[in-house]
Amino acid sequence: MGTFDLLLQGLLAAMEPMNLVYALIGVTLGTAVGVLPGIGPALTVALLLPVTYRLDPAGSLIMFAGIYYGGMYGGSTTSILLNTPGESASIVTALEGNRMARAGRGGPALATAAIGSFVAGLIATLLLAFIAPWVVRFALSFGPADYFALMVLAFITVSAAFGDSALRGLTALFIGLALGLIGIDLQTGQTRLAFGIPDLFDGIEVTTLAVALFAIGETLKIACAPTHLQEQVEAVKGSVWMTIEDWKRSWASWLRGTFIGFPIGAMPAGGADVASFLSYSAEKSFSKHPEEFGTGAIEGVAGPEAANNASAAGTLVPLLTLGLPTTATAAIMLAGFQQFGLQPGPLLFVNNASLVWALIASLLVANLMLLVLNLPLIGVWVRLLTIPKPWLYAGILSFATLGTIGANAAVMRIGGLAFSFELLLLLAFGVLGYLLRRFGYPIAPVVVGLILGPMAEQQLRRALAISQGDPAILFASPVAMVLYTVAAIALLLPLFLRLRGRGQLLGQLATDED
Amino acid sequence: MNKLLLAALVTGALAQTAFAQDYTIMAPAAPGGGWDQTARTMQQVMQDEGIAANVQVTNVPGAGGTIGLAQFANQAQGDPSQLIVGGYVMVGAILTNQSPVTLDNVTPIARLTGESEALVVPANSPIQTLDDLVAQLKENPGSVSWAGGSAGGTDHILAGLVATAVDVDPTQINYIAYSGGGEALAAILGGQVTVGVSGYGEFASQIEAGELRLLALSGESRLEGVDAPTLSEAGVDVVLENWRMVAAAPGITPEQEAEINADIAAMVESDAWQEALASRGWVNTYLAGEDFKAQLAKDITATEGILRQIGLVQ
Amino acid sequence: MTDGGTNATRRPDGAALVIAVVLAILAAVIFWQTSQMRVVAVYARVGPTTFPYIVATGLAVLAVATVVSALRGSFPARDKDNYGPMFWILGGLLAQMLLLFPAGFSIATGVLFALTAAGFGRRRFWMTLPAGIAFAFVIWLIFARGLQLSLPTGPLESALVSAFGALAASVGAA
Repeated sequence: MGTFDLLLQGLLAAMEPMNLVYALIGVTLGTAVGVLPGIGPALTVALLLPVTYRLDPAGSLIMFAGIYYGGMYGGSTTSILLNTPGESASIVTALEGNRMARAGRGGPALATAAIGSFVAGLIATLLLAFIAPWVVRFALSFGPADYFALMVLAFITVSAAFGDSALRGLTALFIGLALGLIGIDLQTGQTRLAFGIPDLFDGIEVTTLAVALFAIGETLKIACAPTHLQEQVEAVKGSVWMTIEDWKRSWASWLRGTFIGFPIGAMPAGGADVASFLSYSAEKSFSKHPEEFGTGAIEGVAGPEAANNASAAGTLVPLLTLGLPTTATAAIMLAGFQQFGLQPGPLLFVNNASLVWALIASLLVANLMLLVLNLPLIGVWVRLLTIPKPWLYAGILSFATLGTIGANAAVMRIGGLAFSFELLLLLAFGVLGYLLRRFGYPIAPVVVGLILGPMAEQQLRRALAISQGDPAILFASPVAMVLYTVAAIALLLPLFLRLRGRGQLLGQLATDED
Repeated sequence: MNKLLLAALVTGALAQTAFAQDYTIMAPAAPGGGWDQTARTMQQVMQDEGIAANVQVTNVPGAGGTIGLAQFANQAQGDPSQLIVGGYVMVGAILTNQSPVTLDNVTPIARLTGESEALVVPANSPIQTLDDLVAQLKENPGSVSWAGGSAGGTDHILAGLVATAVDVDPTQINYIAYSGGGEALAAILGGQVTVGVSGYGEFASQIEAGELRLLALSGESRLEGVDAPTLSEAGVDVVLENWRMVAAAPGITPEQEAEINADIAAMVESDAWQEALASRGWVNTYLAGEDFKAQLAKDITATEGILRQIGLVQ
Repeated sequence: MTDGGTNATRRPDGAALVIAVVLAILAAVIFWQTSQMRVVAVYARVGPTTFPYIVATGLAVLAVATVVSALRGSFPARDKDNYGPMFWILGGLLAQMLLLFPAGFSIATGVLFALTAAGFGRRRFWMTLPAGIAFAFVIWLIFARGLQLSLPTGPLESALVSAFGALAASVGAA
């Protein structure tokens, strides 16, 4: 059966009334939580994971897809109307979008962001649908040595290649790797670094770490910031609709953004923030009105927003076809799959074909719903921005702890004291998240290290077990060699650029969180 | 939309509260896994059939169920409303994790479901029968790579039992652990490993599609509609089933135990339970009372023996 | 978040030196714990101790690199944070952790709510505490009752649920 038929079947499944309801709940919750300042898609997905625990896998993943795309949409609203981006991928949107809103052109800014996200989401999801089967065919022949090479590449692109400091990127990655060591070793059954605490035998939960680093770390950082920045929510004045001139200036930017964003997301070359920064630079050089940049150029909203959404869809290519998460959001999505006993990877397309295609089709459905939901309901979302900080963060922390408690009701007793060990971990990692932010360390490599570290180790050891200890197996396959070459380039090129004094460009691409 | 959803959920939530709570079932695993599904299915059937008015499920995951088991033994003491779901995996985990709390600290009620393990090779493998596999294993144990679940788990134990049964040193087996059947499947289909070991259900669709060749099943008897011998029939004297069970709190009276037994028996006999098993592809291996306790003791002894031989238990 | 700039004074960065020490301690702990493991012969030759040693070595190297970076003053400049709010919030998390099992989800989470709000400057507990408990109770109803998540039940949840139950029964009867 061709991709097209599979996608059509997926659409039929996604259009079932119950699945439409799940998608609608997903996009609504996703947008609502994504709009809240300081909450990006990674945290949106992590916070809403417990909502999906009790649904059937298909419904749950469809809701997930809605949350993921909704979170991306919601972030742009925040950046345009409030100068605090809801997620780092929207920082660029804030540059021009917030200026437009201040100049009374908030409506068209929101419109070009929403329509651009829709166009990009549509094209990128279709690209995902047509590229994924091709990658899967290729990936079915991957052995453990190839996977190991792929993960080495991912480690480098996530930590060292982008960002303003390879040192801090690598340190964050190694903290994640160290946390990943904790627990029972899969190959020998021995416990490592568990210090005799049974609650650590299964290792650190990805969701616990992610929620702590993103939600608690961010809350602490904002609470402790010395000056509370004066934040002004810009009212949407005048028409929401774009003029013919706006359309003319936006459409090419949308397309450029899409084709910059998708490969960056798909290739593991960094998160959505990298894509949106690159798109911003591209728009600046392509624009016929470069003088407007910095004062509210519509291209500067249209391009990056499209890039940001296209890269989000692109991230799903390695996640679904290889089981390889390359951003923090993807790492949490992987946890979402695993809670249903589903292992993303080439076999997912073989064994759970109808589920995968329903998921991909529901991304298209969610994308359309978001377009319809976003523009008319903008007033509702704006009201969420006016929740006072004490209530907002108190609510976020209540919700953040809910998921941790709900997934793990274990009681630890020390003397007469009964408490939840998982919450203790949440607290400790929350402080870690604050310290990382305080000293300029990126967050995403920690989460990616925790999830990819054990995977890389297992693949390496499997490869060597199969060859009965002969290390030549690691370099035997051409695929692995190509991947190592790319990894070497990704590691050395930035070093070279920095030495040549071109570091600023990379610094601009700083990967905060995604 | 949000408000509607909220209202619906709150109403739904309150509607349940008119009943008294009859059972709390602990699933010593994260939401979504096999034990969780077992507990949730019990919850559903017991409520629908009117066996218990209200059943709650709690999840205490970790360390092969031993964290949940320890907490259960500690908290439920003498409380007849508390149940815990468990299984064969727990038997191994108690030994390998040196858990201070064992199945002696709870009151086993009944075995509910069971699944045979399957030994498979890819369709293009030169190994045609179990005899071929045994021959290669005897000649060079390291050249046979086994793909299955985590070290010390059911799959690993079966590999060790097979080796012992054909007089191969079980410490010499080249066992490669995968985090789950799905992940192992990719390695088996890709021909990267020699033989795969996992629950039959993990391989069923590939076996039917002809992509995998089923060498043997580990259960006591053949599976209906499956053309493969049991290990014993194929000349390797090993029987192993990966079963799931339900147990009650320690320190309950014989009368309370009998009452729980009756409730579980009523649940197992209901059509709803049979339908639920069929829809999930689980095989009913209901065994209760003293028979179950005797079987359990036998399984524990055999498992401990093989784990010692493999070197996972000192 | 970071401007990539450098400390104008170029003095050694004390906090960065502390980070280096912490990384070094982490490396040492991993080395020490791993050296205590018994080694079993495996076909892979690469056993369960190899990766921990690699990670520990990496952390040790990064600790040295952090010292160099600190001495060169190349850490990003940062503002001085107030730590007052942090104690409120961490206190809230700690209180929730300790109250969760004795007092149930709603009360424990309500306390977290009120203390977090206090961290953001809203210290009127007579308002934030009841609001937080009510909010947490609604969450508990939706997730523990509606979505069957296991959230600890305390006296408050039991009392309110049986009160609601009685109410629902009387409404049903009427």
